[in-house]
Amino acid sequence: MTYTLLHNASTINYALAAVVLPLIASIINLLLPGKSGKVSGFISAGAILVSVVLAAFVFANVWNNPLIHVQQLWFTIGATPVYAGMLLNNLSVFMLLLVTVIALPVHIYSTAYIKPAEQNRYFTYLSFFCFSMLALVVIDSLVLLYAFWELVGFSSYLLIGFWFTKDSAVQANKKAFIMNRIGDIGLLSAIIILFAQFHTFDLVQLFGDNGLVYRSDVQNGMWVSPAGQMSEVWQYVAFIGIFLAVAAKSAQFPLHTWLPDAMEGPTSVSALIHAATMVAAGVFLLGRVYPMFNVYELNTLAIIGCFTAFLAATIALTQNDLKRILAYSTISQLGYMIMAMGINAYASSLFHLATHAFFKCLLFLCAGVIIHEVQHIKDEHRLDIDPQNILYMGGLRKKMPLTFIATVVGCLALVGLPLTSGYLSKDSILIQAFEWSDGKSAWYKIVPVSILLTSCLTAFYVARLIFKVFFGEFKLKEILPNIHLHISDGSWAFRIPLIFLSLCCLFPLFSLHPLLYEHAWLHKGFVPTDYMARESIYHTIIPAAINIASIFVAYWAFAVYIQQRKLVFSQTNFLFRLSYHHWYIDMFYQQIVVKAVLLLSNGFFWFDRTIVDGFLHLLQRIISALSGIAAWTDRYIVDGTLLVITQLVKLIGDFFRGFQSGRVQYYLFSMLAIVLAVFIIKLLI
Amino acid sequence: MMITLTYYLLVSAGLFSIGLYIILSKKNAIQILIGIELMLNAAILNLIAFGKFDQLKNSGQTFALFTIVLAAASTAVALAIVLNVYRRYRTIDPGKVNQLKD
Amino acid sequence: MLVTVMFYIMAAIVLGSALYVAASKNLVRSVFMFFVTLFALAGLYVLCLADFVAVTQVVVYVGGILVLILFAFMLSGREALEGLQQHNNRLLSVNNLPALLLASLFFIVLANIFIKAHVEDAGWLKQAVASHNVITPQTITINNLGVNLMTNYLLPFEVISILLLMALVGAAHLSRKEETA
Repeated sequence: MTYTLLHNASTINYALAAVVLPLIASIINLLLPGKSGKVSGFISAGAILVSVVLAAFVFANVWNNPLIHVQQLWFTIGATPVYAGMLLNNLSVFMLLLVTVIALPVHIYSTAYIKPAEQNRYFTYLSFFCFSMLALVVIDSLVLLYAFWELVGFSSYLLIGFWFTKDSAVQANKKAFIMNRIGDIGLLSAIIILFAQFHTFDLVQLFGDNGLVYRSDVQNGMWVSPAGQMSEVWQYVAFIGIFLAVAAKSAQFPLHTWLPDAMEGPTSVSALIHAATMVAAGVFLLGRVYPMFNVYELNTLAIIGCFTAFLAATIALTQNDLKRILAYSTISQLGYMIMAMGINAYASSLFHLATHAFFKCLLFLCAGVIIHEVQHIKDEHRLDIDPQNILYMGGLRKKMPLTFIATVVGCLALVGLPLTSGYLSKDSILIQAFEWSDGKSAWYKIVPVSILLTSCLTAFYVARLIFKVFFGEFKLKEILPNIHLHISDGSWAFRIPLIFLSLCCLFPLFSLHPLLYEHAWLHKGFVPTDYMARESIYHTIIPAAINIASIFVAYWAFAVYIQQRKLVFSQTNFLFRLSYHHWYIDMFYQQIVVKAVLLLSNGFFWFDRTIVDGFLHLLQRIISALSGIAAWTDRYIVDGTLLVITQLVKLIGDFFRGFQSGRVQYYLFSMLAIVLAVFIIKLLI
Repeated sequence: MMITLTYYLLVSAGLFSIGLYIILSKKNAIQILIGIELMLNAAILNLIAFGKFDQLKNSGQTFALFTIVLAAASTAVALAIVLNVYRRYRTIDPGKVNQLKD
Repeated sequence: MLVTVMFYIMAAIVLGSALYVAASKNLVRSVFMFFVTLFALAGLYVLCLADFVAVTQVVVYVGGILVLILFAFMLSGREALEGLQQHNNRLLSVNNLPALLLASLFFIVLANIFIKAHVEDAGWLKQAVASHNVITPQTITINNLGVNLMTNYLLPFEVISILLLMALVGAAHLSRKEETA
């Protein structure tokens, strides 16, 4: 018992240290004077390295062991206590290890990718992001979950707009932040509803085994729980809130348009945040609150995830920007994960999260290397080209062999061909999709069929990417024949992360059996204890079918792009344009939503300027007029009265002064006149 | 008809008024002096008229004598003053000597 | 009877000459008419059985004071005389109206008082008449005056003499010639 306690205490301390170290690195980098260059990189990378080691310890202690939950009273409002604490269960430590392991190669890569003058600011932000993400995955209270959710969004905002002198970057980070905000509103509403129903924020109490959510039910139109009851509408509202949060963070339809624009940030940022970790936070949230969904809500999730996957894959077919292809690919794969959550394949979803993190990060880092080299050519020869455009690339496999191999490994994992980790996770989802639609009406078959189609599309656009970039002739040389090209794989800071991640994309990391996903230890860690693996025909047909289809599609792409055979679809018809312009969703938002909001804000501005200020001006004029009247009164009436009185006194004085004329006879006369008057009066009386 | 006391008093009153008029209206200091003399004389006449009725002490006539002497004295001094005024102001019009006005 | 006539004549002369004195714009003429007034007054005194006073009046007043006034302006110089004679004093001019009014009112009031007072009915008067304390034409006033002056009225007599001295000194000092520096 004591050992367990001590054991737990040290585990908790390790976890806490793993979370807080990046924060300390961030603060140190913040306080360092600007342009410290390499030092900040070492500090951040060192912090992450130690976090990896600590996370590994914690993982080893907690994986498939009883969960550890500690908390402390933070504050009390009225009769409600709010706790802050740490929850370490399978999901937490899995995410902890994943994030730190992905962050480490990205940190090393960034030291070479970002200019030394900007590295100080960059690593401050990056370490802060790592701290927010790590704290998000270990926190045990919904309140603090929301706080770190917001911090993760904020760090993303800082990093997307890292090169803030570019107007497109500023627009992109504004868009990302606003869309994330919509998700935050949803999350906050859901948290409030959950609290109103269950009167606690604690994740273990709510969603743990035998938690409050398990023991609550919808009966007769009321959502009944051991802690209280309310109308069942609120259960659906809470679901909508959670869904909004997930859609915003994990870029699902309709809140997916920020992710392609977020490619304005540095590529290493895209690799860490927008491929592997932050966008996975949505799936993580679903994992946390999974017990509260009923079958209708899960179906909704499945449909939306499926639709998003299909949508993104179709758009990726026609894009020319290297990073945008990868961005839409990310959206598509996230759609897979959400759909997997929706069809009750909880374990497969999280498994795919892990494998996707590795190969997507790898792909982004490779893209970064390529873009870095093309940027060098652009700066050297002062060309006016977009370094991310794949139409200028080609034939790079000879010049950058390591990058080529790494990209091919990552793309194979993305497509899901055997011997890669992607094969295991993707096929598990496909198989479970078919099993889920079994026994239900024919409409449910749409989901697995469209997922199958999406996989084919994935193969096509991935092949297109590889063939356009690495095969054929270097297109830029055809446009400008005279330039000399010095393209290479880059420094060791580029190569080592690529090698490490490529190795992680292969099956041995996840499972000893290359073809059966049920043997993967990660999968086994997440399945519910009463899961019974159904061995159906799908387990053999689906992998075979999809792999053959993928290889065929890849060969077709080869034929089109390298052997220059005619395309089946022209480049100007409606479908092409629909795909190229992102299904016009962005345009729709811009025209309808943005314009409406701007109109409203202009209206308020007008109101404030004209009516509120006008009212104040009116008041001011009234008061001026009143004071003018007061001044007039004072000057003419008050002073006037005074003046009149003085004039009167002067008049009387002058009158009496007239008697003092200086002439003696006049004095005598007046004296006698009075005497006479007295005489006469005496006589008459 | 008998000349009673009242008649003398009336004459005296008339003289007094005339003297008053002269004082108030003349622009010549010496004429004013004459006016004063007239008033004095009126008073003396009054005294004399009443003096008939007191033989023992004969106050009326005695005081008339005294008054005549006073009149003389005052006239002498007044003339000296008028002389000084003339020397100073170059005029004996009392209306013009108004330096003491306000 | 004769007394009545005499009285009226004397009174008329007095008042008439006094009026002339008031009305005349010529200073010399008014002074000379003043002469006449004084003489007529002396006559009135006689009628009031005050013979010594009448004589004193003529000697002191006329012979002293009037002559003094005459000397005063006769010896003043031509400029003074010229200036004096330029005034147009008409009796009834507007400038004199207030004075005239006042004087006439005064006369009316005084006359009213004198008539209303019924002075003959005063107590002491009647008593004096009853006890034969009245001066009669047979009285030798000069004796009377002399005795009274030396006995009853000795103090005023002496005071008057001092007063005369003062007046003398004062007048002499006031009219001394300025020493030219």
